Amino acid sequence: MTDHGEAGRSGAPPLVVMEHVTKKFPGVVANDDVSIDLRPGEVHALIGENGAGKSTLMRVLYGMYPADGGRIVIRGEERKIASPRDAIANGIGMVHQHFVLVDPFTVTQNIVLGDEGGPLVHLSDAEQRVKVLADSYGFQIDPGAVVEDLSVGEEQRVEILKALYRGVDILILDEPTAVLTPAETQELFANLRFLREDGKSIVFISHKLDEVLQIADRITVLRRGSVVGQTTPDETDKAKLAEMMVGRPVLFRLEKPTVEIGDPVLELRDLRGGRLRGLSLEVRAGEILGVAGVEGNGQRELADAIMGLRALDGGTISLHDRDLAGLSTEAIRNAGIAFIPEDRHEQGLVLDMTLWENTVLGRHDDADFSGRGGVLFLKKIKELATRLVQLFDVRARSIEVNASTLSGGNQQKLILARELETDPKLLLAAQPTRGLDVGAIEFVWSQILLQKAAGRAVLLISAELDEIYALSDRIVTLYEGRITGEYAPDTPADELGRGMLGGELAGEPG
Amino acid sequence: MFLEDFGASIQIAFTYFTIIYITGLGGLFSERSGIVNIGLEGMMIIGTVTGSYGTFYFSTELDMGVPLGPILGLLFGLLCGALFALIHAVATITFRVDHIVSGVVINLVAIGLARFLSAVFFGQATQSPPGQPKLSPIDIPLLSDLPWGLGRAFQQLSPMVIVAILLLIPVWYSLNRTRWGLRLRSCGENPEATRSLGVSVPLYRYQGVLLSGALAGLAGAFLAIEESQFWREGQTQGLGFIALAALILSNWNPIRLLWAAFLFGFAQAIPLRLDDFFLFAWLPPQFIRMIPYVVTIVAIAGFVGKVRPPAAAGRAYEGGGAL
Amino acid sequence: MAASPATVPAAAIRERPSWLEPLLVQVAALLLALLISLAIGAVIIILYGENPIDVYSAILEFAFRDATSFGTVLSIATPLIFSALAVAVCFKAGLFNIGVEGQFLVGMVTATWAALHLGFLPGALLAVGVLVFAMLGGMAFAAIPAVLKVKTGAHEVVTTIMLNGIAVSFLAWALNGPLKFTATEGAFNVDLRSDKFSTDALMPNIGEAFGMKPSADFSLLFPLALVAAALVWFLFKRMRLGYEARAVGSSPGSAQAGGISIGAVQIKVFLISGALAGLIGMQQLLVDKGALVQNYEAQLGFVGIGVAFLGQNNPIGIVFAAIFWSVLSRGESALQINTEVPREFVIILQGIFIMTVVIVYQVARRWAARRQLAREGAIDNMEDSSATDDIEGLAREDA
Repeated sequence: MTDHGEAGRSGAPPLVVMEHVTKKFPGVVANDDVSIDLRPGEVHALIGENGAGKSTLMRVLYGMYPADGGRIVIRGEERKIASPRDAIANGIGMVHQHFVLVDPFTVTQNIVLGDEGGPLVHLSDAEQRVKVLADSYGFQIDPGAVVEDLSVGEEQRVEILKALYRGVDILILDEPTAVLTPAETQELFANLRFLREDGKSIVFISHKLDEVLQIADRITVLRRGSVVGQTTPDETDKAKLAEMMVGRPVLFRLEKPTVEIGDPVLELRDLRGGRLRGLSLEVRAGEILGVAGVEGNGQRELADAIMGLRALDGGTISLHDRDLAGLSTEAIRNAGIAFIPEDRHEQGLVLDMTLWENTVLGRHDDADFSGRGGVLFLKKIKELATRLVQLFDVRARSIEVNASTLSGGNQQKLILARELETDPKLLLAAQPTRGLDVGAIEFVWSQILLQKAAGRAVLLISAELDEIYALSDRIVTLYEGRITGEYAPDTPADELGRGMLGGELAGEPG
Repeated sequence: MFLEDFGASIQIAFTYFTIIYITGLGGLFSERSGIVNIGLEGMMIIGTVTGSYGTFYFSTELDMGVPLGPILGLLFGLLCGALFALIHAVATITFRVDHIVSGVVINLVAIGLARFLSAVFFGQATQSPPGQPKLSPIDIPLLSDLPWGLGRAFQQLSPMVIVAILLLIPVWYSLNRTRWGLRLRSCGENPEATRSLGVSVPLYRYQGVLLSGALAGLAGAFLAIEESQFWREGQTQGLGFIALAALILSNWNPIRLLWAAFLFGFAQAIPLRLDDFFLFAWLPPQFIRMIPYVVTIVAIAGFVGKVRPPAAAGRAYEGGGAL
Repeated sequence: MAASPATVPAAAIRERPSWLEPLLVQVAALLLALLISLAIGAVIIILYGENPIDVYSAILEFAFRDATSFGTVLSIATPLIFSALAVAVCFKAGLFNIGVEGQFLVGMVTATWAALHLGFLPGALLAVGVLVFAMLGGMAFAAIPAVLKVKTGAHEVVTTIMLNGIAVSFLAWALNGPLKFTATEGAFNVDLRSDKFSTDALMPNIGEAFGMKPSADFSLLFPLALVAAALVWFLFKRMRLGYEARAVGSSPGSAQAGGISIGAVQIKVFLISGALAGLIGMQQLLVDKGALVQNYEAQLGFVGIGVAFLGQNNPIGIVFAAIFWSVLSRGESALQINTEVPREFVIILQGIFIMTVVIVYQVARRWAARRQLAREGAIDNMEDSSATDDIEGLAREDA
């Protein structure tokens, strides 16, 4: 029995039709003459690479951007949607990729904000109403809980409830499974099926092709702002979809070089502090260790702890038997650890500085680049920058432009160039391909594999299972600050998923 | 003898408490809506000069006497404070200038503007004629009869002290039990979330900043009218910043602000009435005058790690510019 | 006519040095702010029944009337340059040193002490010693908020302002105590002050070489201020500390991940700032008055903050901003003598100008960033479409 409803109850008139919609931003056409329709009782997947225009299109529908051309027809009538309020009034709701919840507020306060039903807010009445609403859709949630304390899956439910509370018939979900474990994803799908049965029209924006094939009734593919195809799961497969998205055949696995795995390079024993609750692992020379896990389980803390950016309450970190505890970040870098941070804006580049200023960050006090009196050798620094920019094919007009003007992919390349140039003993890569398109992803992956080929150790922390599978020699799962299991790279995803939820410790979840 | 001084210092503390508390409440609204406001001092300064003039004008020029004159003077200070705060609002909300930069500029401008207004109002740049009318002071029943000089603490207080304390009720209620308060607070915690639900972030932030100007102006007017009975340049002596410190110390909570404001108010009173108290008597007089500032620094330095400001305060909100 | 010039390849025409556009934008923004402020000021002038052209030219004319007058302008500007540099140095590192006022007062106290007690130093060395002590005083006082910030996280805006209050009392105490005048002859000192300094401690008046009368008080301090500006410029352009400070000020997380110690940088920057602030009082101490007096000229620290913003925290801009400010300040007297407009109008104009500049610069910066992003984004779009993510972010502001 297939998973899909009657492909949108064919025959029912569409709820929403977007006709020839065009949306431009300075220098780029995000949506180019896009037409799409949404039927009641269907899950319509919208797929494409980063930057293909799928989020933009839905934000136009949700009234966050005005369209430059085309029109929107809702239930047969043309409508002007000038703001999210208009969209909601027309029955359209949106759950964004990055949740917009007010952490210190309760679930109920978050849901009723903006539609409180009167100048005074009676908390207990509102909580009652929220409970009734949640129950009617089979959503498990405590209306009085503070959002800060909720799990990611629960937060997402609050976001969906926000839309349902306002009586929407069309629900747009932007990359909803990016932050969920495999089990939570299935829970979400169960909720979505319920909503579909109820006649709602659901737009599912995603780049995760396996999931799309599982849940969608129809699939529309965008590439560089235009629709390149529409299909159903029966008529297609992952490889064909990927090819439509990118315009050329896509390799899902790169050739992993065979390298002899050597001695342990990095050893972590019982790390404690913040979200870390006794984390131990080791990475060997010539090995890529993939740390799989959904965000919020200590990934950031792990990376920060290794780099000396966060103090630990306990545990040891050693690089080739050298104790790194208590050392400054500078000392740790000099000891031979290079860092690709998960947030390239917050921990990677100084956006207001030029390219060349960014390439020397971290090595600016090396004898090559500055003298003892503290004067910088600008000529040498700029030479370095020019060489690296060429080597790593960073696209920019010159090395004098600000890093903020580079695209995400080029920013990441810049960071890679800078870090790999130091010939590190260990490369720590945290979510290294987040927000990048396929071309940039392939480049980053090949660079990481080159490190392995050179006999160096790589610690890869990633929430993208595709990435973990493509690169790792060994996989461990991270859950609530501890390593919960070790797996071979050919372990099937559901088994890995169990590890990501506590696996061996929690026992089999129900 | 000491208790008599102690009582007197409490009495003075009440006065400074009023100034600090009212200003702090103003800062509360602004910061909870997400706009950092270090220009409270400047807004207070505007309140002092305009409040003083207002009292003079209504009491004397228009011959309305007391208490109408001072009351209108206070209201005039409140109004002018709000108008002045509009500059900070426009700069930070519409033009997205850095909040602290704007606040600093506001303070600079206020000093000059106060001189200018003083020249216009009073014909001299640095002070007004002394001895302006004020509200009739009251004695708190029962408490003012306490023995051993403690009763002194509750005698001859300005009615505004009571008003200030009572302000807690509408402030707390509006922030926590009304739709307006919920929306205001969400602007300060997560403006993106607020906007995504169709609530106008700039609208609420403007209100927050204008309120802060109004209250700081009121506090300044109180200072000039009730406490000093005339206007003088430099009258505010950093009280606007002390109010900010009190706000931080109280973790942006109006109830805790009550205590923090009183603590700092008392610190102000020490150089004035307790300078021969054994704890302080050995210090040179100029050092005793440093006490309020030292207290503030110690309080700030000691408690900073334990407070949690509104999450989005100070960050320019990248969406939906002007109203 | 000469032979026709060779055709320049199209690409070369489009290539402009990358620093040119930001500079042009800054200058344009400055001019725009100037125009707006003058216009607002003109409205006020008209309300007083005067002609704005007359008033503005009276101000200008008073300043540039003769060498002495201009020398006075530069002397007024000198402390402002030190002050603004002190503020700017911190600002670049993301710190708000509102405590320049307090650091300037403490610098005056320590300088006075040095002038009175280091008399054993010969000739010019005494003057140098006094300057050094001025800087040390400022540095020591600036160390307090710096350490508090790094160790406890206490926000420097509140701590420095409180310290300003403490500094005022400190100076009052010093003047009433250890620095009090010692002469006890019949002459009755109306004002409280220190003993007058020996001439060796004072800054030589160099105005005569430029045709200025001694009353212009134009001394070695002005060139010294220019040197300070040049040093600050060099610090941020060419020195490691300047680079680290800018990184910390712009993106502390990335700086830290790159191995920069944020706390160490912040303290060093604060100390440099304090040293510069300590020199603010030297014009009045070592040139104008030759002693520490009770009614010293205050507010110079605060005004320096305004000048720093006017100069957009750039050393060269600061020098010009300080001179511009001083021209206006000097012009106050012209207003009083020649017009109906009260002298306080100048303060208003200065205030309006700061606010306008700050706003216009902000708008200009965002506009330029958007343009640059669009241009670079357009190039990138051929190869790599994730440019749209960033553009969407920037464009969200319009929605």
